Amino acid sequence: MMDSYVYVIMALLPLSALMLVIQTSPYQALVIRGILGAVAALVYAILGGADVALTEALVGTMLSITLFAVAVRSSLVMRLGVLVAPEPSQESLRQSLLAPLRMVLNRYHLRLELVAYPHPEALQQALQAKEVHGICRVDFPLGEETPARVSSTVIAPDLALTAIPSLPSGAESDGSPAAPPRITLRVPRLYEILTTELPPATAQLQTLNGDRTPLTPPLILMEKY
Amino acid sequence: MTAVILAMIAALLIPMVEAFQDEDIWQRMLAFASIATKTSVMILAVSVLRDDWMIGVVGVLILSVGNAALMLLAHVIKRLNEVTEG
Repeated sequence: MMDSYVYVIMALLPLSALMLVIQTSPYQALVIRGILGAVAALVYAILGGADVALTEALVGTMLSITLFAVAVRSSLVMRLGVLVAPEPSQESLRQSLLAPLRMVLNRYHLRLELVAYPHPEALQQALQAKEVHGICRVDFPLGEETPARVSSTVIAPDLALTAIPSLPSGAESDGSPAAPPRITLRVPRLYEILTTELPPATAQLQTLNGDRTPLTPPLILMEKY
Repeated sequence: MTAVILAMIAALLIPMVEAFQDEDIWQRMLAFASIATKTSVMILAVSVLRDDWMIGVVGVLILSVGNAALMLLAHVIKRLNEVTEG
């Protein structure tokens, strides 16, 4: 005949399992998985399975959480290639891009990892070699075509404050209005997310083969036929 | 002695509610540390209650292993925040 407190302890197990199931963020779920492992070890030990409790604590809690943390850390990331040591005006432009980009990626539980490259050729080569998921260029050549909406007014409003200290250096360099940074993406899903959720004025998006049209219309056509 | 165990269960519910409600990852890690320690101490209390040394040894092992797992997980999450902000 079991004591009454055993039933109360056993009720903790489905409670913590429910907490784990309704989590959406992977890192929060990892911590809740640790809590579930601790409660499960308690239940197993009290019900007499000392060996099962020990295995649950060693493998279920310690090993699996560590392996899952490493897996989530290396997979849920967007690696963005940037040029190392830009000019101060371009640095402020880049910072104004990274803040909304991080906000959008946080909604999908993705991290943004910046990888610095010394010159534009290395940047392009890294994208071709699939070392990064996308590259960000602030200083693309003036001869390239730019969309008609590019002007100083399209920059995010919070940039106006940060760009004031670096205004003289930017004005004497070329005097032309700053264009938004250009992000070239290799992964179609990232392109879809960023085109739909990133404010259009903060960056100019394109896929690896120079395509600027959204990827969804061909998919809809494929579904129709 | 049963009343002591029931009081421990009630104390265990406090960090569980905290882990469920708070969105901050470090608050959840704190709740995880609290729960891992509390469950191990509960196993030790039950082993004393039943005079079962086998459960007692398991409780001691889980107490040390739970802390090791917590340190590993905290280290990975700390590295993660450094990469994200840096």
